[in-house]
Formats: sequence, structure tokens, C-alpha cells
Amino acid sequence: MAGVSLNGIVKRYGAVQVVHGIDLEVAEKEFVVLVGPSGCGKSTTLRMIAGLEEISEGELAIDGRYMNRVAPKDRDLAMVFQNYALYPHLNVADNMAFGLRIRKMPRDQIKTTIAETAQILGLTNYLERRPSDLSGGQRQRVAMGRAIVRHPKVFLFDEPLSNLDAKLRTQMRAEIKRLHNRLGVTSVYVTHDQVEAMTLADRIVVMNDGRIEQVGTPMELFNNPANTFVAGFLGSPPMNQMKGKLTENGAQIGSSEIKLNGVTAQQAGRDVIIGIRPEHVTLAPGEGTSPLPIALDLVEPLGSEALLHARFGDDNLVFKADTQGDIGHLTGVGEVHIPALLVKIFDADTGRALSVGA
Amino acid sequence: MVEEHTTATGLPIEEAVIEAKEAQRHQVKNDRWTRLLDHFRREWQIYAMLLPTIVWFVVFLYKPMYGLQIAFKDYSIFRGVANSPWVGFEHFETLFSNDQFLRAVSNTIKISALNLLFGFPAPIILALMFNEILNATYKRAAQTIVYLPHFISSVIIAGIVITAFSPTAGIVNTVIGWFGLDPVYFLTQPEWFRPIFVGTGIWQEAGFGSIVFLAAIAGVSPSLYESAVVDGANRWQMMWKITIPSILPTILIMLIIRIGNIMEVSFELIILLYQPATYETADVVNTWVYRQGLQSGQYDLAAAAGLFNAVVAFALVMTANSLSRRYSRTSLW
Repeated sequence: MAGVSLNGIVKRYGAVQVVHGIDLEVAEKEFVVLVGPSGCGKSTTLRMIAGLEEISEGELAIDGRYMNRVAPKDRDLAMVFQNYALYPHLNVADNMAFGLRIRKMPRDQIKTTIAETAQILGLTNYLERRPSDLSGGQRQRVAMGRAIVRHPKVFLFDEPLSNLDAKLRTQMRAEIKRLHNRLGVTSVYVTHDQVEAMTLADRIVVMNDGRIEQVGTPMELFNNPANTFVAGFLGSPPMNQMKGKLTENGAQIGSSEIKLNGVTAQQAGRDVIIGIRPEHVTLAPGEGTSPLPIALDLVEPLGSEALLHARFGDDNLVFKADTQGDIGHLTGVGEVHIPALLVKIFDADTGRALSVGA
Repeated sequence: MVEEHTTATGLPIEEAVIEAKEAQRHQVKNDRWTRLLDHFRREWQIYAMLLPTIVWFVVFLYKPMYGLQIAFKDYSIFRGVANSPWVGFEHFETLFSNDQFLRAVSNTIKISALNLLFGFPAPIILALMFNEILNATYKRAAQTIVYLPHFISSVIIAGIVITAFSPTAGIVNTVIGWFGLDPVYFLTQPEWFRPIFVGTGIWQEAGFGSIVFLAAIAGVSPSLYESAVVDGANRWQMMWKITIPSILPTILIMLIIRIGNIMEVSFELIILLYQPATYETADVVNTWVYRQGLQSGQYDLAAAAGLFNAVVAFALVMTANSLSRRYSRTSLW
């Protein structure tokens, strides 16, 4: 097993710079997820680790060894691709054996390794089938099997679940997690799906526009986003963000005020973004909550709960309500309650989180 | 006494069933026509676009088939196709007792076999080589250079070949002269005709023929190569283990088409390059048909030879297609 170290990694295509100095330490056996919107540089970063893209600047080390100029085959890593990259003319067993044959592993050993891996992945009955005869989930398993048989130091996953339907994605996500717990191989996983990131990662790296916005455990990022981008990216639906102004007693949003403790005299009067997660907004008043008048315009029932869309001044507000209670009366103008303890304050100019509040 | 069962309309049951079935058949038939009519109304633009192709096929391929009957007739241009008397397989008997025709069949097969052996792999190898060129400018220039001969008329190609192999000023004999050897008049020597002809064909068509294989290579997912790179494959291994197997269906389709054309060697180039001295190895079915049919006016005999060519080609393409379908899951139809 090995750690991966990225030090000031930059990627340029001609004059265009797409990755702007990534610094990241992936510990041994750690599962790190790079997450961000399309074009944020997460796949490019992964491909630089794999050696499929040249590193324009900075240093990459795997297991403490400088890797910038080492060929992909000598980096001792395996990669699972978004479209599985299975060889259509080879059956499952031959697909899995491809890398081993290239490395001239003895035939008997290849057979044993494939049998063992197929057993782990539930592919024993499909070894003679070609990829075209398999379902999406089975193909995905073969792609993972091809990576596993190599016993590499590092696994790289490039959006491996994005071609699967929602149900299969959930199932495969759990399988990847189980597999990681079982094999304990250092893994770097790229996705744009924040649910995948939250459920799989030991640590999440949120990327935007070729830069790292924040690194931390899923709950750290969820509870304490470093800026409005991270706050808006993680969580479903994302955190509500409303324009406001800090006052000595709290935060002013339109004509309403949320009571906050700890606003300093210097902070008072500052333009801010007030963030509150949809699940933290309540319909009933509670201890330490402040009321907010809203005009409800849409209710989306989700079964056990409902998403309520409302207007608050110029801002949109989305919040969740338990449908076990009666939500039939939630029409027109009403009031929601914001718990001061769970409110996040961000600087309106920089978008960075401010240390304010109870 | 047998009791006769009747329906409410008073008809015996068997008759009522027959009537109902008939009505149902009518209904299905009417439905089918209505559906077909609806389909044409909806998709008429597609059929309008298809029309020129259908017209082309009818005028140039199906209508001439009417004339094929002269292969079984004692054809006279004065009596016309319809009024010429039938002679059965007489022309085919004449053909198969004609040494020149049998020699032409043998030459056709030999030249085609050489073409298949050397000419068929040439564009594939060329496409694989182009695929390995990393410099885009160099790749484009190289491709343009090898595509060019395809656009040159066969007359000019033949001119170039005749000049190149000329015993007095040709480049080939000049080079031979550098080694102190006597000049050879290649184009009058039967043993040299086939290599020169097949080589010329490769030079003229390999580049253009590589386009289809290059297109097939372009269709191979780049992630297959990336995955192979991570697995440790070098370029040679990638070519053998990924590129060639990935374009195999295209190779097989092109091979089936090629086998279908096995009796059709490049007629113009042979006419332009051969001479009585090289008939022994150069005269093929098409050139024989040309001489017999057009130059000697034996249209019926020439039609019989042409029909023989077509039947052989049809049988070959059917066989190749079914073999390919059975062993590689790839076929033309």
C-alpha cells in the first residue's frame, strides 16, 4: 500500500491553464474523493496521477517515489474508467487477465488470481461471456476486477458509476465501499455526484475551476463549508444562501432579523451571505430560532418528506418538511423558523465562511 | 340422426366460422394496407431521397439483366434480343472448350489471389502505420501523398508504369544498369506481368483504401488504449491486442466485398499494360470478353462469359458471408 502526494500540480494546454497548483496528501489505505462540477479539473488531476496526462508543473509522488517522469505501467496503479474500457473482443476472463499477461505472470497464477477475484465480485458464472453480453453493473464489476487482479498500490476511479442507472449506482456504490474495506487499497475516486462523494469518501476534496476549495471528512465539509461554493455543492438540496447584513444583534435579511450572538463591532454592518441547510429550517418555532416570513410557491412530495419552495424577498428558499404531519395547510404566505446555531455566515465579497454566531 | 348446429343468423357453425375467419383476414389485410399507406404518408421524404438510388439500380443494373438472355440465344443485332433463337447452353459449352477462355479464367484467379494476398493487407498495414504517426502535420502530408495515385487516371498510371519499366530510359532499368546488369523489357515478359500489375494496383489504391480502416481505427475508444497503457502494454502490443481486433469486423466486411469482386480485376489497367506477348499471363476474363464481344462481335458468347463471372462472384460472396457470420459474428447481411 502507498500514499499519494501532490505538490503544486499544474496542468496547462498551451496557454490555457486548467489545474492551478494542487496540493494534496492521500494517506495509505485512504479513500479520497475528488468532487466538483464538470470542467473543474478533477479528471485531469486523476489522469496526471495515472500518467495519462503530463504534469506541467509540480511534483507527484507515490509511495514516496517521485513519479512525474515514470511511465504509467511503472507507477503500480490500476484505473477504472467511466465507460469501463473493456476490450469488446475478449471475454470476461481474458479482459481481467489482460494486464497480467502483459506483465508475463505465469498462466497458473493468472487462472488462480482471476478465479479468486471473480469469486469476490460474483463474476464466476460470467467468465466466458463477452462484455456485450453483460449488463451495465456486470461490466462495471469486470472493470473493477481488472483493476483488482493487478494488486496495485493505488486504485484510481474516474466516474465509474456515472453510466449506471440510479438503482444500480446505489448498489455498486455500496459494493465499492465494501471492497475498499476488504482490500484496504489507497484509492482516489473522481465524481461529480456529491452523494457518491459523501457516502464513499474518508476525505472529500471539493474542486472548482482547477483549484481545491476545501478538503475534509464528509461531515466536516457538510457542517462547516469553507465557502459558498462548497456550501452550495454538497447537500441535496444545497444550502440556502440569502443576502443580508450583519448587525450588532445578528443578521438582517430584508426586514427580518436572525438573532446571533458574537457579532463583533467591526463585523456589524458588513454585507454577508446567510446560509441555512433545508433540513434545518423548521415550520414550528423552537429554542433559539428566529422567524422568517415566506411566500410558499411549490410543494414537491418525496414520500416520507416534502421539499417546499418559497420566496423570501429576492431570494429563493428551499426547505424540507415531514409529510407524516399535515402539509395541506402550507399554502400562500407563512412563516418558517431559522435556528441561530445552525446558520452559516459567509463574506458577501469573497464567499469565505466567517466566524460569527452563537 | 345428426343434429345440425346453427348460429343466431341461421348459418351452420362451420360456415359461420369460415365466414368470420374470412372477415378477419379482410380486416387484417385492410389494416395492413392502411398502415402501409400511413407509413408512406408519414415517411415520404425518406422514400423521395431513396428514389434516385432505386432509379440508378433499375436503369444500370436491373434493366441490363434483360440482355443477359442472349447468353442462351444465337444473338443477332438485326433480330434483337427478343427475336433471336434460343440455343440453350451452347455458348457455355463453347466457352469451356475454348483454351483461351480457360486460360483467362485461370489468369483471373491467379491475379485476384495475388491481389488478395498482397493488395488486401496493404491498406490495413498502411492505416496501422498512419495511426502510429504522432506528428499531425507529417501524418496529413503522408496521407495526402499516398491518396494521390487513386485520383490519377488509369491511362496516366499505365503511362508512368510503361515509362518506369522502359528498357532504355526507365528508372528500374537505370538502377539495374548501376549494378552492371543488362536491361530487361519487363512489360513484354509474361512472368513479370503479374508482379508489375499487382504492385501497380497496390501503389494506386492502398492509400485510398486505407481511409476506411483509418475510420474504423478512429472509432476505437481511446479509453481502451489508456487502460492498456496503465496495464503496461507497449505500442506494438496495443496494435496487436486492441487495434487489430477492434477493426476486425471492418476487415472482414471489406474482405467479403473484395471476394465478391474477385473475378473483376482492373480491366482498364490490363488493357493498357498487356500486349499479345504477355497474354499468356495477362489475359483475364474481362479482357477476353472485351475482345470477343466488342472486337469480334460475338456478343452472345461474351454475355455467357460475363454471366459465368457473375455467378462465380455471387457464389463466392455468399460463401464468404456465411463463413464470416458463423465464425466471427460479422456479416454483410
